[in-house]
Order: sequence, then C-alpha cells, then structure tokens
Amino acid sequence: CKKFLDQPALGYYSDADLFSNEATAKTAVNAAYIPLTFTDASSNPVWVLGDVATDDVVIGGNAGEQADYTAIDLYNILPGNAAVQSLWARYYDGINRCNVITDGLTADNANISETARTQLLSQAKFLRAYYYFMLTNFYGNIPLRLKVSTLADAALAASPQAQVYTQIEKDLTEAAAGLPQKWDSNTDQGRATKGAALALLAKASLFQQKYAQAIQYSEQVEALGYALTDRFADNFNASAKTNSEVIFSVWHVRGSQPSQGNSLNYWFAPRSLNGAGTFFPTQSLVNNFEANDPRLDLTIERAGKPYYDSTFDPSWSSTGYLSKKHIQPVSEVPTTTKNDGNLNYEALRFADLLLIKAEALNESGQSAAALVPLNKVRERARKNYDGTPPADLLAAITVVNQSDLRDVIRRERRSELALEFQRFFDVIRYGQAYADAAMKPGSPNFNYTNNRFFPIPQTELNANGKL
Amino acid sequence: AAASTQAQTAPDSLKRRPDSTAKAQSPPDSVLKIQPASTPPVNVPQTPNPVKTATPASAGQNTLTKTSRPNASDTTSRVLKGIVKDEKGVPIPGAIVQVVGKPNKATTDADGRFTINLPDRNASIQVLFIGYATRTLKPGSQTEVSVSLVPSNQKLDDVVVTGYSSQQKKDLTGAVSQIKSSDIDNMPVGGVDQVLQGKAAGVSVTQGTGAPGEGIAVRIRGVGTINNNNPLYVIDGVPSTSGINQISPTDIESISILKDASSASIYGARASNGVVVVTTKKGKSGKSTVNLSQYTGVQVHGDLIKMANTPQYVAAFNAAAAADGRTQIPASLAASLPDVNWQKEVLQPALINNSNLSVSGGNETGNYLVAANYYKQDGLINNSAYDRFNLRTAVNSTLSKIFSTGLNLNLSYAKTKQVGASGDGFGNGNQGASVMRYALFRTPATPVFKANGDYVDLPENSNFFGDGLNPVGYADNFDRNNNAYSALGNVFLEAKIIDGLKFRTTLGGTLVITDFKQFFKIWGDRAQNSPGSLARSNANQLDYNWTNTLTYNMKFGEKHNLNILAGTENIKSRTNGLSASRSIFPNQSEDFQYLDNGIGVQQNGENESRWALFSLFGRADYQYADKYLASFTVRRDGSSRLNPVNRYGNFYSGSVGWRLDQEAFLKNFKSLSMLKLRASIGQTGNQEISNYAYTSLNSFVGFYPFGGTSVIGNSLTSRGNANITWETSTQTNFGLDAGFFDNKLQFSADYFIRDNSDILFANPLPPSAGGGGSPYVNAGKVRNQGLELQISYRDQISENWSYDVSGNMATLKNKVLSLAGSSIVGGRIDNEYYATLTAVGQPIGAFYLLPMEGIFQNDLDIFTHAYQGTGIQPGDVKYKDSNGDGIIDEKDREFAGSPIPKLTYGFTGNLKFKQFDLSVFFQGAYGNKLYNQVATDTEGFYRAFNITERVATGSWNGEGSTNQFPRLTWSSASSTNNKRPSTRFLEDGSYLRLKNLQIGYSLSPKVLSALKIASMRIYVSGQNLLTFTKYTGLDPEIYTSSNGQGDGVRAVGIDWGTYPSARVYTLGLNLNF
Repeated sequence: CKKFLDQPALGYYSDADLFSNEATAKTAVNAAYIPLTFTDASSNPVWVLGDVATDDVVIGGNAGEQADYTAIDLYNILPGNAAVQSLWARYYDGINRCNVITDGLTADNANISETARTQLLSQAKFLRAYYYFMLTNFYGNIPLRLKVSTLADAALAASPQAQVYTQIEKDLTEAAAGLPQKWDSNTDQGRATKGAALALLAKASLFQQKYAQAIQYSEQVEALGYALTDRFADNFNASAKTNSEVIFSVWHVRGSQPSQGNSLNYWFAPRSLNGAGTFFPTQSLVNNFEANDPRLDLTIERAGKPYYDSTFDPSWSSTGYLSKKHIQPVSEVPTTTKNDGNLNYEALRFADLLLIKAEALNESGQSAAALVPLNKVRERARKNYDGTPPADLLAAITVVNQSDLRDVIRRERRSELALEFQRFFDVIRYGQAYADAAMKPGSPNFNYTNNRFFPIPQTELNANGKL
Repeated sequence: AAASTQAQTAPDSLKRRPDSTAKAQSPPDSVLKIQPASTPPVNVPQTPNPVKTATPASAGQNTLTKTSRPNASDTTSRVLKGIVKDEKGVPIPGAIVQVVGKPNKATTDADGRFTINLPDRNASIQVLFIGYATRTLKPGSQTEVSVSLVPSNQKLDDVVVTGYSSQQKKDLTGAVSQIKSSDIDNMPVGGVDQVLQGKAAGVSVTQGTGAPGEGIAVRIRGVGTINNNNPLYVIDGVPSTSGINQISPTDIESISILKDASSASIYGARASNGVVVVTTKKGKSGKSTVNLSQYTGVQVHGDLIKMANTPQYVAAFNAAAAADGRTQIPASLAASLPDVNWQKEVLQPALINNSNLSVSGGNETGNYLVAANYYKQDGLINNSAYDRFNLRTAVNSTLSKIFSTGLNLNLSYAKTKQVGASGDGFGNGNQGASVMRYALFRTPATPVFKANGDYVDLPENSNFFGDGLNPVGYADNFDRNNNAYSALGNVFLEAKIIDGLKFRTTLGGTLVITDFKQFFKIWGDRAQNSPGSLARSNANQLDYNWTNTLTYNMKFGEKHNLNILAGTENIKSRTNGLSASRSIFPNQSEDFQYLDNGIGVQQNGENESRWALFSLFGRADYQYADKYLASFTVRRDGSSRLNPVNRYGNFYSGSVGWRLDQEAFLKNFKSLSMLKLRASIGQTGNQEISNYAYTSLNSFVGFYPFGGTSVIGNSLTSRGNANITWETSTQTNFGLDAGFFDNKLQFSADYFIRDNSDILFANPLPPSAGGGGSPYVNAGKVRNQGLELQISYRDQISENWSYDVSGNMATLKNKVLSLAGSSIVGGRIDNEYYATLTAVGQPIGAFYLLPMEGIFQNDLDIFTHAYQGTGIQPGDVKYKDSNGDGIIDEKDREFAGSPIPKLTYGFTGNLKFKQFDLSVFFQGAYGNKLYNQVATDTEGFYRAFNITERVATGSWNGEGSTNQFPRLTWSSASSTNNKRPSTRFLEDGSYLRLKNLQIGYSLSPKVLSALKIASMRIYVSGQNLLTFTKYTGLDPEIYTSSNGQGDGVRAVGIDWGTYPSARVYTLGLNLNF
C-alpha cells in the first residue's frame, strides 16, 4: 500500500533533475531570456515607462481607451497602474529564473562540464544584472533577491539603489569573465556575450557617474570589434538582425505557437492598418532632430512620406507622427497577424555605447576626447542621407566647453536612440532642471521628486509586508 | 420490533426492496392518503413512532385487532366492492384483499377492482401488495371503497442514507438534511446540484452565471477554507468531486447532505466541506411500470438594466466633451443615429426541453430499472446551450440466501456550448470576455448590421461611439464546444455471512472523457480573431474505488442494540490530457473546421497526473432502549498528495442522542409526537490541493528563438512545501428534532461551530519573488458558525383539500481566526487591482475598498478635504480619509462587507384541490454584498462606452445637484479618480426570488380508465418569475467570474457583466402506464 500511494509528478523536473545534465540545464537558462521579449507588449511595457512617460511620446487611441497608459503619460499614476505592475512582475520573474540557475547549478555539480557550467551561470548573471538595472532605474530602491524566494523570505525590504548597483556590477563582472566573445553556433545567436556584459557595465557605471569605469568598459567593448553599421535602419530591420552594431538583442520569430513574435508591431501601427495605434511621437521629439537629419525619417513617420509599403495619413495619429522603429512593412507582417512580427529589439547597440563613452569622457573633463565617439555616431547618420548630403549636414562637433558639449551629447542621444525606450532613464538622470524642462510642458503633473521613480506596485505592497 | 426493522433498513443505499419481508412497516402518517368513497377517513391509529406499529414479517396477519372490535348488533354478511390504487392513483392489479381474522380473500383484477364478502359490519379488511405498505381499514356500512397504497420504500422520512450505510431517522445523531425525489420532480433545471438550492438549511447553492451548463457552487455550512470548498459527492457509493454533473435530476431517488462531523467524518480526508450522498432510483418489486415525463418551455430574459438610449448617450457624451474641450457629436449626425437596445439584441428567447422514459419492475429475487433522459437547454445568448443524454440501468439480484449482487451504470453525453459568460477575458483558462459586458458597453447609436447584412464591427466615428466588440457578432462567431462522455457506476457483491453479519465489496468508478473544440472565425472588419484558429483538447479521467465493508448488528438483551461497520477503501485517479491547435483556416465553414484544414501554426501538448488515497474506517452505533443513542466513527487516510513522511491522518467523531419522547415523563403530552436532542463533535479533513504540493517542480515555461531557432525553456513552475499536512475541520453540532400533532408539524434546529485549522493554501508570494506557483502552507484557521432551522407543516383539510408548507433558514457567520503570513488579496477588479482581502477577524474574501463619501460640491470642499491628487474638480468623487493622514491613497481602504450571505432561506408551499395542485418555491439570501465591476465602465463614464440611464441623466451638474454620481468628464485626473475601485460600486446583494411556481392537473380515474393509462398529470410552471432585490446589475444570483476562478472564494460576488438567469415558462406532462 505504500507503493499504491507513491505517485510521481509526471512530466516535471525536480530541482535536482533540472541540473542533472547540460541539455536540461541549458533549458533553464533559455527560460531566463523569455521575459525580455515583446510577444505580449502589454506585459512588457518598457515602452510605456521608457517612452510614453516622457516628452518623446504620447499615448494614442481615442480618449479614455488606454486609461492606465494615459495615466502614465499624464502622471496620474496610482500604485495599481497596469504598466507599473506588469513591468515589475515580468522583470522579477526573469530574476527568479536566473536565481533558479544560480541556486541549482552549484560548484559541486559533476554532471556538467566546468566550461558549460561557467557559460550557463554567466548568462544567468548577465540577465539578472540586466533585469535589476531596468528595475532599479524605473523603481529606485527595490528588493534584492539573489536566491529563489521561499515563504520565509517572501517579504523582503527594499535595498538602496547603490546596493542594487553593487550587485549588478558584481554579476556583470563575473559574466564578462565567463562569457564568450562570440557564440560559434548560429543557433546560439542572441545569447549574452562578453561584450554585452561589458557594455551594460559601462552603462551602469555611467548611470552611477562612475565615469572612469564607464570609459574603461567602453574601451573594452570597442576592443571586441563592434562597428556602426552603415545603414542606420539595419538596426530596425528583420533581415539584418546580426549586424555589426548589435551588442545584445532580444530575438523574435514569426509564426510560432506559442507566439515568439514581436507584438510592438501591433501596438505601434495605426488602427487603419489593424494596429492598436497607441504610440505617437511628439513634435518635441521631431524638433530635436537637426535639420535634414536622415535619422528623422528612419525613426518617425510624418506627412508626405511613405510608411514603409503603405501610404501614410497624418490623421492616423493625434500628433501627426508614428514610430518607424519596431514596425515592419505589411509585406513582411500582414495585417492579419499584426502582433506576430519578427523584428528583434536591440537592447544594447554600439551607438549607445559610443554615446556612453562620449558622455563619460565629457563629464570626466576629457571633452576633446569625447568628440571622437560622438562624431562617429554623427558621421554614420550623415551617411544615411538619401542623395548628396548638404555640406553642413550633421557637421562634426568641435565644441569643447564641457557644459555646451553636454547639451550636444544629450541632444544627440535623444535623436540617435529615439523611441528605443531609453528616454525616461536619460531625462531622470540628467537631473531635475532638465527633467522639469522636458516633461512639464506635456505633463504638468510631473513632479521630479515624486515621479523620478514609479511607485512600487500595489500587488507587491499587498504581499510584501516589509515594503 | 425496532431491532428487526433496523436490520432490514440499515444495510446500504443500493438494496431498496430486496424481498417481501420488508414490507411490514406502516406508512408515515402524513403521506397516507386513503380515501374511502363517502365516509370520513378511516380511523387509522396514529402513533408518535410509526415503527412501533410495524408488524411481524408474515403477510396476512391482522395488525390492527384493536380496531376490529366485534359489534353484536350487526352481523349481517354482505358484499364489498372496491378499487386498489397506488400513491399516484394508478389501479393496482394482483393486490390481495383479505378480511382480518377470516379466510375470506380476493385478488384485484386488471383494473385494480375487487369484490369480497364481509362477514359483519365490524370486519376489517387488509390490502397487501408487494412493495407497498399493507393497509387495514374498516368499511363499516360502505359497499364500495377506494384504497390507496403507499410504496413502502417511499419511507424516506424514516430511513436516511448516510455514509456507507443507512439509518433510521429516529436513530440519527448527526446533522443530515434530506431531499427527496418529490422535491426535485418537474423542476426545470439541468443539474442535480441546482436542485439543492433553497431546499436544505445550511446548504448554499449559487450558480456561476445564468449560462446553460454553467458550474454551480455548493457550500455546506459556509466557507471553511481559502482552498477548495466543494463538497464530496458520493453517488451510489462512488465518491466523486465532479460526477454530480453526469447524472440527471430525474434519476435521483434521494439526496442526503451530511453536514456535521458525526455524519461526514466516515469520509475522512475528503469530507471537511460536507458530503452529498446521492441515491439513484431503483426498480421496485412488483408490477412493471413505465414512466414518461416530458416538459418543454421557453426561456426569456428578466428585467434589464436601464441603459441610456441614443439621445441620452449623445447628451452625456457632449456634456463630457464640453467639459473636457473635446469635439462634440454634431447635431446633424445625432439626428440620424439608430437607437439599439443591445441587451435585447443579445438576449433572445430560447427553448428548454426534457424527456424522460423509464421502465422498472422486479420480483422477490431481483429488480431492475432502465431509464433514458434527454435534456436540452438553449441559452438566451446565441451559441450557448447545454444538451445531455443519459442512459441508466440499475439491476439487483439475490443469488442465494447468502449472496446478492447488483450493478448501477449511468452513461451520459453532455455537450455544452459556451460563450463568454463572465469576466473580461483576462487570464488563462477562462471562456473569454462576457458577451453581456460588451452588450452593456456598446453604445446604442451603432447599428447591429450593415445594409449588406455584415456585422458592424468598429463603429463609424469610434471617437464618439467606442471601439467595443459588437456583442451579437462576437457571440455568433465564438464557437466553443465542450463534449463530455462519461460512465459512472459500480458493481457489488454482498454476503450475509450469518444473521446480522454482512460483507460487501464494491468496485466503482467514473470515467470522464472530455472533448473540447474551439473555433474562432475571422469576422467583422477588424479581424479581431485573426488569423482564425482551431483548438482541440481531449482529457480522460479515470477514478476508481474499491470499497469493502463488514457490518454486524448485535442485540444484547432487550435494550441494547449495537451496529458495527468496518471497511477499507482504495481510491486512485488518473487524468491524461491531449491538446492540439492550428491557425489560419482558408475555408472557415463548419465542414472545414478540422485540424487538417489549418495551414498555419500547429501546436500540441500532453500531460498526465495521478493521485491515490488509501483508507481504513469504522463506525459503531449504539442504542439503549430506543432512548439513548451514541455513535462513534474513525477513519485513517493516506494520501499521495502529502510528503511520504506525513501522509497519514486520523479523523474521529462521536455523537449522542436522547429521544425524550420515549421517556415516561413526556408520554402524557399527546400533541408531542417526537422530540430528540442531538450533539456531536468530530474532525474531517481536506486534501483538495495540487497533486504534488510537497515538492518543487520545474517545467516548460516557453520558447526562445536564438538565432531564429526556437529552443525550449524550463523553469520553476511550482514551489513545494515538504511540511504540509492535512487541513482539519473540527465541528461541534447541537441539534433538536421535534414533531407535533402526529408529526403534522415538524421542526428541526441545529447549531454548529465549524473550525477549519491548518487550512491548506498557496498564499501568493509577492511579484518580486517571481513566477512559479506559491507553495501550499497550512495557512490559518477559519470559523463558521450558524443556526439552521427547518420547519414543515402538512395537513389534509378535507377530502378535497390538502396542503403542506415548509421553510428553512440558516444563519452563517464566517471569520478568519488566524493566518500565517500576510493578509491575502483576491478578486481582481481592475488591471492589478483587487477587491477583497482575507484577513484575521474578517470573513474570507471580505470586500476591502476605498470608501466613497460623496461628491465634491465646490472648491472649498476639495480644499478642506484630504488631498486626493492633482486635477480634482468639483463634481468628482470624494473618498473618506479613513486613516486621517490627509492623503487619499490605498491605505484608506476599509472592510466593506462580505459576499457571504448572513442568512439564506427557502420556502415551499404545496396545495392540492381535487385534481389540481399548486406549488410555490421561494428562495433568497440576505446580508451579502456584490461588487458591480461592470458599473466601473457603465457608470464610470471615462470613454466611449454606453452608460446607465441614471448616470446619463442624473450626474452632478452643479453644487447640490447630487451626492451620488460624479460629473460627466473624461479628463484623466478626474476619471482616474472617479472610477477608482471603491464602495461606489459595491451594492447590497440581498434578494428574494420566486424560483418556481407550478400549477398541475391530474386526470381523474374515470378519464384514465377510458384512456387506458394509469396516471397522467399535466402542469405549467414558471421559474424565476419574480425577484426582489436592490441590486442594480442584471442578476443578483452570481457567484464568481471566469476571471476569479483562480482566486476561488476570495473572488466571490464580483459582477463583470454576467450572463443572467432566464425566466422560464414550461408545460409538462407525466404519464404512467
């Protein structure tokens, strides 16, 4: 009768089973990448918190339709806001999946070769750092969980942001040491690399105003051989996913079930093309582009320009503009499967790194040196002019006054990385004066002290008594 | 006498009328309807305890010698003619009529008629028929009499089926409610669980929605746990959590609800939510009978919500647009708009039909019953329906003096067509967003169809008229079919080893194969469901039980009586599921809705799970002098669901009873027929947790396409807790049963305290702990206490008039006594916002909301009130600063009532006049709250959705205008504020409903004999004809939304725009041959 009562869990791995060989251990690492994707863009609302919340984008749709996203746009943000909740839950889910690996893949595991174990652990650490980087920049002081949570530590107090950053740097340093420069197999494209870890270290250092480190890590990345692509649009093109500029991409493919497609294509496309029409770039963003900047028409759709293979009608958007990033032509993704795009999201690209380096150099008093990476970015942009560029188009910057150059770099960053969900981080870290000037015209309710971070979600407060 | 009767009736639920030796009990007095043609009712001595009049077994004995006093004044012999009929008025051929104490004897002919010689005027005659209680009467000077016999197995008043056995009601010491087939017959309901509603005190029955085939929540004595609260069903000895859906209400003989620990604890670890023991109909010894019953009816919608019509909507829209500076609807456009009542478009009259045919009979060595039933209920909303076909057979056979055997088998096929019936479609596993929800949202200014007959999808001018789905098109193109094929039954072998000692072994089980098919057509011009997909899934679940019991009845001396039961039970369950889907169907017609015809993405899956339970149990019942009763039960259960080191649990219960009516000091109270006091205490368990809760599990969480090649991801999906143990319910019960005036008036009261401790629950971890299910913990303690009253009175006023009335009511107080860890939220009502909090000192799933205080009337009001946020204006909703910190935020939420009714009640009245009968059944609940979630949108007016008339016309429009409905505005700050989840949308959910009203007519014997049929009754009936409630939603009788299913009892009473119950009018016929 003892046997009668022994009923094993069929089709499940116990914790020990999961790490009993390399192949299944690898599946645990694969799982940790999944929360990065935009298969359901409403559950990964980094685009709402990253851009809709800023002066670059307003929420689209008829009045009242996207009430919670509108609330973010206009800063009527309650802790129950859907976007605030979803991003938190999704990125912490990613962290937990990383913790499953760091808990389970212990040093005494003899079933998996040391090389494999190092690579698997390093990927987990990179991803954990990435998720924490996003979370601490959106929410500030947050619970720091480095092991799979149990009932006993379910309630956990928030750690100060500095402590979160310390862990991010530790994870990234270890990841950089353990990750390959390049994955040999085509079927490993998209896994974290040494370059990705170093680039995120550079970014994290800059965000903490650790300029020397930011410069040092940037140089290490440069040394790995990344280069700007000639065609700016290759970074937003499904047929150029592995271009030389990619440092870390979130991959998507079409036609899978469960979907592994990119649904931003649906959320950002106009309703007339069966999209949701929720993401409208602002005049303020358009104005940020210098005259004739070829990136403008590669970033933003406007009157008189073809919208890929469709004819654009400015009435499709309340601002008259639509995003061209994260969007695919109807010939690539028909209107019937709008939310199943195969565009990757380039979370870290070399242009970002060059601008990180430029900013770090300028802030650390090496303004002249800062011009080098900055002008590389401008030069590539200039190359994208259709026809013979005007002589003064995106001329090389020569300003060496630190304060003036700071403004130039900030403007460049806004143009180059527009609509790539970076704006909120930049606006906030540039400080209150910049933020108020940027945000208040569109969102009078914006209050730097209260709004530099999003509120800790209500669902977290409900279940975590230590917050 | 009592002992021998006990021996005959105690054995089990299957053996109803095995042989002629058990016929000797006299019928319960009040069921008796013997009507000699022209004299007052025959004087049948009434005794407080009918059993005491039971005769020795041999037929033909004079049982009523006292009534046949010789009278010397008239000794003239004469001829008596008569007719013998059954309880339905059908003549009985072959019945024996004999004169008491004389050899004179006659047998009724094919028409039930007899002629017999009476030796004198004081002679009594006795009428005997197998399967019926023997009747004795004194014709006096009559020359013609009509004798009605009552089947002896209809003595359900006296015998109560309990766990693994049955008991005489008089000997019962536990709290058991009983429902008989007569309470169920002709109720136009689809499921057995529905018939429990309002019929038994302390049993709360709520349907999820009004959709056909919708699940029913049965709660016995409250909500004991945050975990599964469903009772255990035992159908003809087969324990099942779902089998109740597989049988037809017309097949039910009786239902016993074991409410207290004393009666339920023999089911141990599965009994903490109470046990519902269902006994199906069996053949009766005697002549074969054919029964045909049929009803057909129409269902229509009840009262609708008063929504704004087009002019009202346009006015409200323009008022908001003017306030916010948006474009108004131009007058020219407004003049040409249609005016559609979407509720009426969606809720169309629908048919309901039930046909039942059964043939049964038997003799002294066996009996049989075969029955077929077809039930069909179309839904008020297109594409929703429930059809069920049942075939049932029950055979019992006495093989020898020692052995007997039997078989019960119920085969059923049920098909449920589902539309979105509740919820907003959020989350996995629900049925999609409610059609009613969209019907309420859609503005009246949008037509249903275009001129070419296509559905209007996205309205023209969606900035004015919204972007909600066309509910008619949505329902029409939403094809979701659930087919369930099931077999439920058992075979048994019984051996009477020696007198009083009996062994029985039963092999029973259920096999349920569910077959699901869902097809989403592409329709409308927005391609909402593109690319079109077909999903199929198939699951088969086999549960079997092997049960062995040994019973021994002993009698010591004159006064001691002991019954002992011991048994073992093995239960095992295995479920296997297969699923497959494809997308993109170039041909969407029904003939091509097969997987092979999809050209897009293919997906498939399989899973299997198993659990097992092994149990030992025993019971001892002791009676002393028929006055003092005691009972003791023990069960030891081992479950595969718990960690092997602590998988066994023991459950005990004990009870005592005292029959005061048997005491000498009460013998003089003639009006008192029965009085008994009962008390019981005991424990039961709950093991309804996931199958492998004690260990952490990792499994598939998705794919990731590295380099364009998808690879699988596995991660933590379920956290284990090695220390979990049984949830235990400890229940104390005090009861009183009383009968007066020869039991015409019966009264029963029970008071209980039920403490569920170590409740098993997976308390959600905070989102920062990441995915992977929360571990189950023994999370706390919950107390339910309540008082249950049941009262009935039945009387025969005259030959033509009789009536009975009965009522039941139950109070319930539910309170969480302790909780491990933090309070538990539940009941999502907005994105990630939850309406309930389960906290210590409050009922489970109590509403926890921001209290609305009124409407800000002016700027000073805003200025002097606690800070509610930027952009608040006069006319916006004012909330209470509960914690007095000067800021309105989530910390100001307060407990605002519970969805658990404080009081539930039912009332039934039956009246018979000659051939006519009338019955009414009311049912209601009091003291519960409902959160009208859909009103957040239909009264929160923040986008182009339709709104209720009262909001369209009664909103704040200046200081002093109203303190109830805020101003019309869509401004982000104001509308975010005004539609905040708060007590603004919380309403009183009390209701009283006329559940059933029925008028019947039975054909008179003259007509019957002309038609050559035994009996015939026709009736008309109406269901849900009247509802008294303050609730402003469509139907107060809602339980939970498909969104809230995962939250269980923490998400009860939230109305997302629920599919309403129908008002049903039926015409029915009952025919016996």
